[in-house]
Amino acid sequence: MTSTSSSNGSRASGGRSLPWQALVDAAMLLLWGLMLLRFTVTGKLYLLLHPDYMWLAHLAMVLLLAMGVSRLVQVGLSYRRGTGQTIRSQEHTALLPRQFSVGLLIAIAVFGLIYTPRPFASETAFQRGITDVLGQTRSRPQRFSLGGESEERTIVDWVRTLNVYPEPDAYAGQIAKVSGFVTHIPDWPDEFVMISRFVLTCCAADAYPVGLPVELPPGTARPAPDTWLEIKGTVQTSTLDGKRQLAIGDPTLTEIPEPRTPYEY
Amino acid sequence: MTQLNNGITLFFSLLVEAMPFLLLGVMFSSVLLLFVDEQKLLSVIPKNVVLAALAGSLIGFLFPVCECGNIPVARRLLTKGAPTAVAIGFLLAAPTVNPVVFWATWIAFRDQPEIVFLRVGFTLVVAVTIALIFSAQADVRPFLQDSLTRMMGDPEPVAATPAEAEISPLLKSGTFLMQSPGQVLQLDAPPAQVLAQVAVAAPPMATRLRMMVDNMVLELRELGAVLVIGSAIAAFVQVAVPREVILSLGQGPVTSIVAMMALAWVVSICSTVDSFFALSFASTFTSGSLLAFLVFGPMIDLKNISLLLTVFKGRAILYLFVLAAQLVFLLTLVMNLYTG
Repeated sequence: MTSTSSSNGSRASGGRSLPWQALVDAAMLLLWGLMLLRFTVTGKLYLLLHPDYMWLAHLAMVLLLAMGVSRLVQVGLSYRRGTGQTIRSQEHTALLPRQFSVGLLIAIAVFGLIYTPRPFASETAFQRGITDVLGQTRSRPQRFSLGGESEERTIVDWVRTLNVYPEPDAYAGQIAKVSGFVTHIPDWPDEFVMISRFVLTCCAADAYPVGLPVELPPGTARPAPDTWLEIKGTVQTSTLDGKRQLAIGDPTLTEIPEPRTPYEY
Repeated sequence: MTQLNNGITLFFSLLVEAMPFLLLGVMFSSVLLLFVDEQKLLSVIPKNVVLAALAGSLIGFLFPVCECGNIPVARRLLTKGAPTAVAIGFLLAAPTVNPVVFWATWIAFRDQPEIVFLRVGFTLVVAVTIALIFSAQADVRPFLQDSLTRMMGDPEPVAATPAEAEISPLLKSGTFLMQSPGQVLQLDAPPAQVLAQVAVAAPPMATRLRMMVDNMVLELRELGAVLVIGSAIAAFVQVAVPREVILSLGQGPVTSIVAMMALAWVVSICSTVDSFFALSFASTFTSGSLLAFLVFGPMIDLKNISLLLTVFKGRAILYLFVLAAQLVFLLTLVMNLYTG
């Protein structure tokens, strides 16, 4: 355990064998850095994190790449000098076998380089209890303005507004223009779908769904779940599940591609 | 298939959010491992037992280490003659009461600031209480591993008043090496003690920096692997266990605490990143149980028992475990009943 560095060199193997352990460590660091780089470049980081904390992930990426490169330089230098010496840490009590830790980390980084994360969709929204009411633990902004045009409110703006003043009749006749994905709620009549979004406060781990009911115009085919739509309609009050709710009536539906940032914040 | 995709997305989300904090924690602990002189630190600790316990619990602000890094530090503190109250307080509180963990908890729970502050508060209460209970035992040696008591040298540092020991380091029998003025090295002290003292002073800056990077890589490897396993478990529980089961467990004031404490014990996730883990349960579990997870987990878990065994004998670990579990349970239950 207490392998102090004061005994420089005495531990050196002396031969010009490659320091595999250091190389594997460097590979691990570089792969993790590259994985974060890939998420950043492809924009998939938006599926994982709140934008406010992305700089932390970027910082980690830079640190990991820098550590990986410095490891390689270190190995290169000591290899050229012909000393295979590696300084070990003073204090170390192993929990997991070294090969296991490195293997696991490398495997995850490689997987992260191949796998493309998918945003949460309607099935999850339904499973997580989609609602137009914010629960106890949800973000409650201290201040938000109602002064803006009702058309500019996003789904989460609507839900937050409703949370403060839930009476749906108060909003009747306002124009709503929101975008989100379609969720089918099993107990609802066929002409109703939910237009929904996930909201993040920190990362995907705390994503929660919010949504507004939409009453489709008569004769319109029900859009498939997970279709991304932009909906413009008039606010009305509908009774669903025995509860009076705000709904968007008489809507025009425009199919849109999945946004780069599918969550709201 | 959707479930699997969600699970993997959740898994990577936890990893990507937690990795910067893990790196930060590892970096701090490596810097301090090499640049902070524990000896000097110990000399300024108050002599009053309660204050010493509190001071020990707050040292974490200077050693922002998570629970894997703090055991070696607590061990070094003990070998350098720290009072029991300081060492135990540090052991239990340092992983939680430190700036990196505070910040990470703040980011995860900025919507529920009470969790952030109560986490620190409860940890201090539990750590100081247990430190006081342990320091009621005049000689802590029977609780410690033999290898450690040997490293601590003669029993006199505990018996003698520290003031005396500081004034006259040379008025002791033995072979000494004069280092800088006022600093002596006892050569016939147990070897590990000598090495521990030499190691801080000897290496030049370049070597120290290299050792620092080495230590970072080493800790990152180890804690990173535990983080990966912990994130996988969290993601799995989120997508695979039926929501009704989680809700029925998570909404009861007692069951939720027991469940989260058991989870904390098993998952063993590092304290710098455990708030993100807890966050994934925030919508389904009571606040008290989240706190129980955040307070109890860093103190004792499955992973650090093997580390604690390098310091304490089994019996002492059992006492620590039982005391910590009871106190955390009581405090968080009061919170659940009060706020629920």
